[in-house]
Amino acid sequence: MLAYIIRRILFSVPIVFGVMLVTFFLFFVVQSPNAMARRVLGPKASPQAVETWLHNRGYDKPLIFNSNPGEPFHDSLFVNQIRRLAQFDLGTSDVTGRPLKDVFASGALPSLLITVPAFVVGFALSLGLSLYLVFMRNSVVDLFATVFCVALMSVPVMVYIIFGQWLVAQVFNYLPAFGFSLQGWSTAKFLMLPVALMVVSGLGAEVRLYRALLLEEMGQDYIRTARAKGVSNSRVLLVHVLKNGMINLITVVVASLPFLIMGSLVIENFFGIPGLGSVLFNAIQAPDFAVVQASVFLGSLLYLGGLVLTDLCYAWVDPRIRLQ
Amino acid sequence: MRGWIHVFAFNNPMAFFDQLWVQNGLLLLTYTILGGLALKASRSERWKSAWPRLKKDRTGLVSLGVILVYVTIGTLDLIRLPVEQGTRSVLDALTDGIPQEKGYAAPLARETLSLSNPTPVRAVHLLGTDALGRDTLVRTMKASRTALLIGGLTSVIYIPIGVILGILAGYYRRWVDDLVQYFYSTIAAVPEILMLVAILLVLGKGVGTMAIALGTTGWVGLARLIRGETLRQVERPYIAAAKGLGQSNLSILSFHLLPNVMHLVVIKFVLGFSGLVLAEAMLSYLGVGSPVGTPSWGAMIDASRSELSREPLVWWNLVSATSALFFLVLSLNLFGDALRRAFDPRRT
Amino acid sequence: MRLLAVRLCLMSSPAFHMRYAPLLGVLASFMVGACSNNPHPAPYQAEREGGTPWVVRYAATPEDPRSLDPQVSYDSVSRRVIEPVYECLLEYHPFKTDPYELRPCLLATVPEKVDGLGAGVIYRCRLKEGIFFHDDPCFPAGRGREVVAEDVHFAFQRIADPKVECPVVSTLQDYVLGLGDAFELARKTGSFDYQAPIPGIRITGRYTFEIHLAQPYPQLLYWLAMHFTAPVPREAVAYYDGKVHDGIPRDHFRFHPVGTGPFKIAEWNRGASIRLVRNPKYQTTQFPDGGWVPEQESLLRPMAGRALPIIDEVYLTVFKESIPVFMLFRQGYLDGMGLGKDAFSSLMTPTRDLSDKYKQRGVGLYRITEPSTFYISLNTEDPVLGPNRKLRQALSASFNAQAYLDVFFNSVPIVAEQLLPPGIAGYQKNYKNPYGFNLEKAKALLAEAGYPNGRDASGKTLELTFDVVATGANERAMAEFEQKQFEQLGIRIKVIENTFARLMEKQDQGNFQIASGSGWMADYPDPENFFFLKHSKNIPPVGKNESRYRNPEYDRLFEKMAAMENSPEREAIAHQLNAILAEDVPEILNMHRSVYALNQPWAPHVAENPLLEGGFKYALIDHDLREKKRREWNEHPLWPVWGLVSVIILTVFGSVRFHREP
Repeated sequence: MLAYIIRRILFSVPIVFGVMLVTFFLFFVVQSPNAMARRVLGPKASPQAVETWLHNRGYDKPLIFNSNPGEPFHDSLFVNQIRRLAQFDLGTSDVTGRPLKDVFASGALPSLLITVPAFVVGFALSLGLSLYLVFMRNSVVDLFATVFCVALMSVPVMVYIIFGQWLVAQVFNYLPAFGFSLQGWSTAKFLMLPVALMVVSGLGAEVRLYRALLLEEMGQDYIRTARAKGVSNSRVLLVHVLKNGMINLITVVVASLPFLIMGSLVIENFFGIPGLGSVLFNAIQAPDFAVVQASVFLGSLLYLGGLVLTDLCYAWVDPRIRLQ
Repeated sequence: MRGWIHVFAFNNPMAFFDQLWVQNGLLLLTYTILGGLALKASRSERWKSAWPRLKKDRTGLVSLGVILVYVTIGTLDLIRLPVEQGTRSVLDALTDGIPQEKGYAAPLARETLSLSNPTPVRAVHLLGTDALGRDTLVRTMKASRTALLIGGLTSVIYIPIGVILGILAGYYRRWVDDLVQYFYSTIAAVPEILMLVAILLVLGKGVGTMAIALGTTGWVGLARLIRGETLRQVERPYIAAAKGLGQSNLSILSFHLLPNVMHLVVIKFVLGFSGLVLAEAMLSYLGVGSPVGTPSWGAMIDASRSELSREPLVWWNLVSATSALFFLVLSLNLFGDALRRAFDPRRT
Repeated sequence: MRLLAVRLCLMSSPAFHMRYAPLLGVLASFMVGACSNNPHPAPYQAEREGGTPWVVRYAATPEDPRSLDPQVSYDSVSRRVIEPVYECLLEYHPFKTDPYELRPCLLATVPEKVDGLGAGVIYRCRLKEGIFFHDDPCFPAGRGREVVAEDVHFAFQRIADPKVECPVVSTLQDYVLGLGDAFELARKTGSFDYQAPIPGIRITGRYTFEIHLAQPYPQLLYWLAMHFTAPVPREAVAYYDGKVHDGIPRDHFRFHPVGTGPFKIAEWNRGASIRLVRNPKYQTTQFPDGGWVPEQESLLRPMAGRALPIIDEVYLTVFKESIPVFMLFRQGYLDGMGLGKDAFSSLMTPTRDLSDKYKQRGVGLYRITEPSTFYISLNTEDPVLGPNRKLRQALSASFNAQAYLDVFFNSVPIVAEQLLPPGIAGYQKNYKNPYGFNLEKAKALLAEAGYPNGRDASGKTLELTFDVVATGANERAMAEFEQKQFEQLGIRIKVIENTFARLMEKQDQGNFQIASGSGWMADYPDPENFFFLKHSKNIPPVGKNESRYRNPEYDRLFEKMAAMENSPEREAIAHQLNAILAEDVPEILNMHRSVYALNQPWAPHVAENPLLEGGFKYALIDHDLREKKRREWNEHPLWPVWGLVSVIILTVFGSVRFHREP
């Protein structure tokens, strides 16, 4: 088992390197460090200030290979950046100079406060509804609900948010339209609307997926046997199908767990929640190369972590997999 | 030092594609190829058996009808006609008589919506007008061209990549498989939205560049799907038989494997199309979407955020764009499902 | 609530939800009732020491300040926080704007100029006594130290330190003696020697010092009113090094300001909010004795000479977008806001007055014209545009700035007829740009330029590129509008969208024909601060002469004017400079930016001066009125909640009933 995990993790290393290569190329192609400096220092900055800024950050180094006489060929921007990241030194923001460690640490909590409740509620609700649809399968309700799910999926996220924010916060004055502050239980008032919108916008796709997975389970032989033995419909559903179907579901959702920390790019920006999604959004607009590169790095680590988790889940469920 | 990069920067779209005959020719070519493919497909066994099932599927047929309406409108806006200064589309010519107002006008309203300075409208607009006084219905219809272009161009990019890499990986296995898996794992490891934005920042805004960005991230899913299906097909006796008969790898790939995964590609194409239309809306919100002068539902939805905080409320742009987008995406999803049911009646 | 609904589904027995349905409803209405839609946390303190209410001003800021180091920051967002925390040697009078007036702040008086050696001049300065820095852990026993002349000298040393990255050192080094040398030396050796004094700042006593300039520079006084020269305590810079000491991490100085100002930062939630709380020891300045507009006499007369700040706290919320600002203002959760396009037509009547609804609410309206000028740059080194002055004149005359402002800015800003904005010496009130909008004239000029009806001699349509920065729907529409304006001439304009950085890069290289998005906001109210924009030594990447305009005559006149004190003669030169630019058309003038701003009935608009960033120390708030109005404006009906609950119950109940177990 341990060897299996180690193998999986080692397999991830070249992927992380590939990711770094791709993003470095993309971001140094679009934003020359020089342009970035001007953006950070404002339109009134003198070239002298730009030069100093670049030098203080090591951005005046050659891109890939250092061909300057007297300097080692590997003293380049790319090599230095990779070396830093390999040591998990995320560096500092290009725009504010804040250590990125702090930036990500302070953004993680607000993000998790949105995504974890949204995930839990969304999962529970979708599971409940899909069980209900499986229970009602082949009825008018089922047919109507599946079409309705597709309809829910066909509305862009922004429309949910725009409409929800307008109705709940502007017309009815129930909840704050915008803002965030950590103040004990009343923080909930900032979270309820974003969480609800996130749940609703993801509901259609999830219910559909879960329903399909559960229906697949319904078709299994042991279920037919159980029903032939005269076990009641709801007992089959709530005991057998749910228990075995859950395993499938969990392996499906577990890959997305690490991404909860990344927050939601759109929701956070609409509601002014200072999470990681919002950090990323600002970094894209700024553009803050250090933040984007570090997010991509962390993002790919999270993705690979999710893969390992999924594999572990499968291995745990089905011991034969370990042997492969 | 960075001069060579500008070769790739799509800031100056190639003037070649601005020419009338090139645009119309490409359009004709695309539809001819699509027609040819459909004709060829209709002869194959799998498709012949799927067709009667599809014909009985009422939701599928209705949604196909809706999709065809959108395609027709989009095509009308794609066909260019020569005019004195440059060119314009058939749709432009048809809607030429609809005048521009001074600003917002509500659907069917008799004067423009402005507390400070209402003026009588020059024509009644069925769905109202936008901030610059342009007819919302016409803008909404013109936007289907953008959706069609993005969906079509992206598919042209990602389907060949996905199919070829997927089949190769599934057929040859070993290092080919490893390499393909490495490629798509690397692309998939970058959060998709970040990848899209990054590429669009590099290449600049534009329908073409958006298609490139979406294509770059989009092939991963297809390649995975095709690889899996190929792995399953390779086990089948007919492949062994073909190998036994001494057929070359190339002919096995193109005459045996490809036709047997094609139905998956079509289903993925239809369902993926809906995702692309939604992605365009998202990218417009992030500020890297459609360029100046391109009407798009995403841009309309983005602009509507400020319209909702106005008094009186300007809701028609949001509603028009959302409904237009909604019915297209809904139809694509439903039609995709119908296709899946028709090809694979055992599941679902 | 939603979780409960799930359980209802699972239980799928009608009796179950009949029993729990009322509970669900009660819970839902309780949740809505208990939740207020107030986005702000409780004030820093509930009451002042005397038992009167603690008064907070709620304001908006578009993003987090990037740096609060007074020697570094050069953007208005950061200044919004620096201004209340740090104080400068001089400050602008909050009410006098035509002309602007400097008044002493940390200095006891506005310094007088004395002739120095050779061409040099000396400014003798004396600090007020008994001014203390904020209490802060960086000082012994945490008690703020008195401000002395050495702190000003230290500020100048930091300006010259390359590691600090002060953006204005390149300007000041031309005047302040020894500043440039210190900078160059530090760049060579790699570190700045803080033991070596700057020769241009001579300390003559505990509170007195002299500023020695190499040549006359009347603009120096304005620099003393900018935070670059604000005194900074050495202790704070040393203490806040961003490192970990004894297991406790310390902030970096740029995020932990220690000044003498009326407020200090109590709390900073990145990306969300900043809380500024009054400095109880503040006594540098008092409310002015006069200078306000006559209409405010009754409001402000009682304030004259009062201790500052009047309010106790400023709560800044970070809004990255303008829409929520309007939403919260309408609910009474913001005390003031700039009037953006979105809100404009819903609030204004044709007479540029507030609509009745908002008048009844008691909302106030005022207009701020910034000392700024915006223009579209024409590249005078471009092979097509450069040699063809008539073509540039034609383009300028084809651009209908008023229509542009009508469509995109609700006609609020003023059409720019000249480079100088109003309020600056040399501005000519009745001057008209000879190449202002006139389509007939533009077409005639285009023909003279060699492109009759937009076509060249071979009959080919003239095509020009137009580089814009476009990020949102609004910018997109603006670019389209500008394109249409030029195309009225029969020429073709190709719009190229760029990121901000890409456009800057193109301007550095001179790789464009027409570029939008240029503007200049005055650092200080002096004509020199505008005319230098077209000096040949300021061609990018060195400066902001994006048009790459070169004219030796212009350069000579400019240099002469720059060194002069304000006088009629100086104004005459300014008029001459203006005439040269008008004829050469290196740019198409667009507007002097102005905005309407709104204030709530409980927060009267006080500080007029657009050079101030907030003027929070003068702000007034009627606390009780605000509480009352907020309650009135935020009533929330309960029927939708009940409706929603009933719909959920009916759906579940109905669907279970509808399909019994087979």
